[in-house]
Amino acid sequence: MNYPVWYLPGVGGGLLMAIIAITHVFVSHFAVGGGLYLVLTERKARRENDAQLLEFIKKHAKFFMLASMVYGGVTGVGIWFTIGLIQPDATSDLIHTFVFGWAAEWVWFLVEIVALLIYYYCFDRMDEQRHLLVGWIYFLAAWMSLFLINGIIGFMLTPGDWLENRNFWSAFFNPSFWPSLLFRCAMATLLAGVFAFFSTALIGAAGFRQKMTRYTSRWCLLSLLVAGLAGFWYLQVLPGSAQQVLAISPTIQRSVIIGAFAVLSLAALVTLFTLWRPAWHNLTVALLVALSSLLVMGAFEWIREADRRPFVIYQWRYSNGIAVSDAERLDSGFLAQCRYSREREVREDNLMAAGAELFRFQCYACHTLGGINNDLRTRTASASFPGMVNYLTTMHEKRPFMPPFIGNELERQALAAFLVGELHGKPVQRTSQSEAHPGETLFAANSCDMCHEAELVFNWAQGKSLAEVDQGLATLSQIDSSMKDFSGTEAERQALAEYLLDPHRTAVAAAALSGLQVLEEHCVLCHDAQLTLDWAATRDAEAIRHGLLHLSQINSSMEDFAGSEAELDALVLFLAGQAQGGVQ
Amino acid sequence: MNPLVPSPDLLPVSRAMLEALLLLTFPLHLLFMNALLASVLLALWGHYRSAEPAAQRLSYRLAQLLPLLIAFTINFGIPPLLFIQVLYGNFVYASSIVMGVVWLSVIPLLLTLYYVAYVYDFNFWRLGRKAALLLAAVGLLVLAVAFVFSNNMTLMLKPEHWRAYFSADGGWFLNLAEPTLWPRYLHMLIGASGVGALLVALLVGLWRRQDPAVADLARRWALRLFLVVLGLQIVAGSWFLLALPADVLLLFMGRNSLASLIFVLALLLVALLLYLSLRQRFGLVATGAVLLLYLMSFLRAFVREGYLAKTFVELVEQSPQDLTPLLLFVVTLVIGVALVAWMVRAALACRE
Repeated sequence: MNYPVWYLPGVGGGLLMAIIAITHVFVSHFAVGGGLYLVLTERKARRENDAQLLEFIKKHAKFFMLASMVYGGVTGVGIWFTIGLIQPDATSDLIHTFVFGWAAEWVWFLVEIVALLIYYYCFDRMDEQRHLLVGWIYFLAAWMSLFLINGIIGFMLTPGDWLENRNFWSAFFNPSFWPSLLFRCAMATLLAGVFAFFSTALIGAAGFRQKMTRYTSRWCLLSLLVAGLAGFWYLQVLPGSAQQVLAISPTIQRSVIIGAFAVLSLAALVTLFTLWRPAWHNLTVALLVALSSLLVMGAFEWIREADRRPFVIYQWRYSNGIAVSDAERLDSGFLAQCRYSREREVREDNLMAAGAELFRFQCYACHTLGGINNDLRTRTASASFPGMVNYLTTMHEKRPFMPPFIGNELERQALAAFLVGELHGKPVQRTSQSEAHPGETLFAANSCDMCHEAELVFNWAQGKSLAEVDQGLATLSQIDSSMKDFSGTEAERQALAEYLLDPHRTAVAAAALSGLQVLEEHCVLCHDAQLTLDWAATRDAEAIRHGLLHLSQINSSMEDFAGSEAELDALVLFLAGQAQGGVQ
Repeated sequence: MNPLVPSPDLLPVSRAMLEALLLLTFPLHLLFMNALLASVLLALWGHYRSAEPAAQRLSYRLAQLLPLLIAFTINFGIPPLLFIQVLYGNFVYASSIVMGVVWLSVIPLLLTLYYVAYVYDFNFWRLGRKAALLLAAVGLLVLAVAFVFSNNMTLMLKPEHWRAYFSADGGWFLNLAEPTLWPRYLHMLIGASGVGALLVALLVGLWRRQDPAVADLARRWALRLFLVVLGLQIVAGSWFLLALPADVLLLFMGRNSLASLIFVLALLLVALLLYLSLRQRFGLVATGAVLLLYLMSFLRAFVREGYLAKTFVELVEQSPQDLTPLLLFVVTLVIGVALVAWMVRAALACRE
């Protein structure tokens, strides 16, 4: 909102981030664990005076340098570039909070580079003990980098006490710091083994190849076990609302399934092909192991990122970059206060353009248009305009991983118009001023709320009959001598009384409620309407009603129907009617 | 104030402290960047003059240096990039987004040039003629990365150019209409080649015991390159200076006494370097070159302040300031420097 949006609607910032971040995380964890693998294996080789093993380690160190220092180092800078481009507000929060944490991490990165270069280039030319010491310094530096960055990443999901005290150390040692550190350490040693499988596959002597492959398998299996335990601990420290998002977010569920399969295939490969029958090990196995672990790591990072939703920094800044504390101010008119919006207000002639701007600033952070990731074009295909307006009002309640729509009523309608009219060419019929309840207009014209709160009037009317309210309006001076009796016509007074009794027009709406509309508002934003119709086709009205009230039992990502009784009646009637029609 | 400039965030410590950190670390990045550029130029010259006895061997030594110089150029780029984001994040994030695709292309460009440099290094003797081609590719990639940086560093100073975003938001913008873009780019590259050449000669001097001919050749060529680019720099530097808006230019012409003093000192230092290099006082020349880098980056900071003064930035500091995170950095830095010093000493003592 404060910054322009780098707009690539068919690609999306999220996908770019995922490509750079997941591959970086994969290699950078290897850079930590691989350091330990190098130095422990070198120590083993020196102790056992094993020239073959020493030669293996030297070759592996070269591969290690090219993968971790070059790819890991450059993509690390790449993450910075990327987050600055796609989440500038949040990046600025992080940089201003953690500048010296990052500066300290840079020092360890420098020590890492110097140590690794000397470790590789002086492999045979340095005193043994001294060379091992350089190796240990490398590992220390790499581990310290992980230690520091772990605090910063964890902060985004669990900022903890920082939300109140703004203290660096509260932010750094946040609630998920320790379980996340243990998990990352285990992933680091696991990946060290995973990459070492490439080097062991290339060993010429069969006996030695099998020995090193088996050694590496044990290393991986132990790491996998620790990672599993740490992962479980990590889940326990997540805040309750994050646990809820974990349970219902469709993208998280997909990642959980991918992750679970990847863990199983990793465990199977490492047990079967490399530990039990190391003779079967070759480059293809190494590649499959690496792919499985990339998926494990990718699934974990995706889940961690997605679980922050609807925030990018938990309870501080929404995923679309809007600060939680700014939301109320912006509700009065988002576009007028958005520095880089091309449209400053919603008018009849710029409805779609204003909606497009709202999409860019509020939806594009997570949604593409026709892209691979979270395509909003397909997700809105079955929505109608009134359904979309209604959905935008309550989406953050129905889908707790989405931020609320921020802006005024006209802007909400403009966004709905863009999503339904512009994207799908469907009709957009907005409620015009003339359709407003005449009582509402009278209420505004009489400026009751200039002298006292509007709520006071509604509360007064509540529980009274229409005649009583009408009578009360005619004799306002008897209620309070400072008020004047209502001075309009009798018809006007009646209209005002009707409005005060039912300001949201639920009774009127319910009377004209169509089941189709309820279906559009409550169901089709998450799944196709046909799915509901198919489900209802084999059920009678009673079973449909029961099913709607217990939707969470059908699929845990759904919530039980939470609309009004009238809406439920209309929907049941519609679904049952459709079912009969289908049978006929 | 230009309405397009986003509002800044609270600074965690005083602005002066952050500026000092920026100005202390940025020249270190320049040091390695200059040496990187000069290594490519000198090694290319070595391939061109391969008939000369030590020329190929000099190119080989430079091939070994290249990946290390790339590693340290990137590494030392991190602290200034960090501090500039704290101080001027609201400018640099906005300008980066306006040229998003171009800005992010730095990453694949760096990855490519890094790996190509390794291929060049590891296969130097096997590559034959192709070696020079690979090296030229590295050089072009370095120039491309530098061009992207020149674009963003000039664009962040000109919020009025960010309006381009409203007609093209895909991130393909280049700041080509900026009058200081080309002179600034040339001034940086030419200066970098000259200063870098002196630094490279110093580094190649580390092999003096094993190959004195190569060390001598490096010195000779470095001095020659330094003298040639000095001539070019007089042209490019003047062009850059005159392309600056009058109010920024006048900062160096007496309006700001510190800026003017540093400007005069830098010019005197260049004259001194010329004299010392003609007298073959190599150690002094290289020391002076490092000093020159510091003075030049101070001048660069004055240029930035000159531009941004027009944009009126109100930077707010957080209060009360918590200095313990700074302490974490300082303690880490002391430990890190000690470890690096010990390792470098150990490496220099290891057998050839």
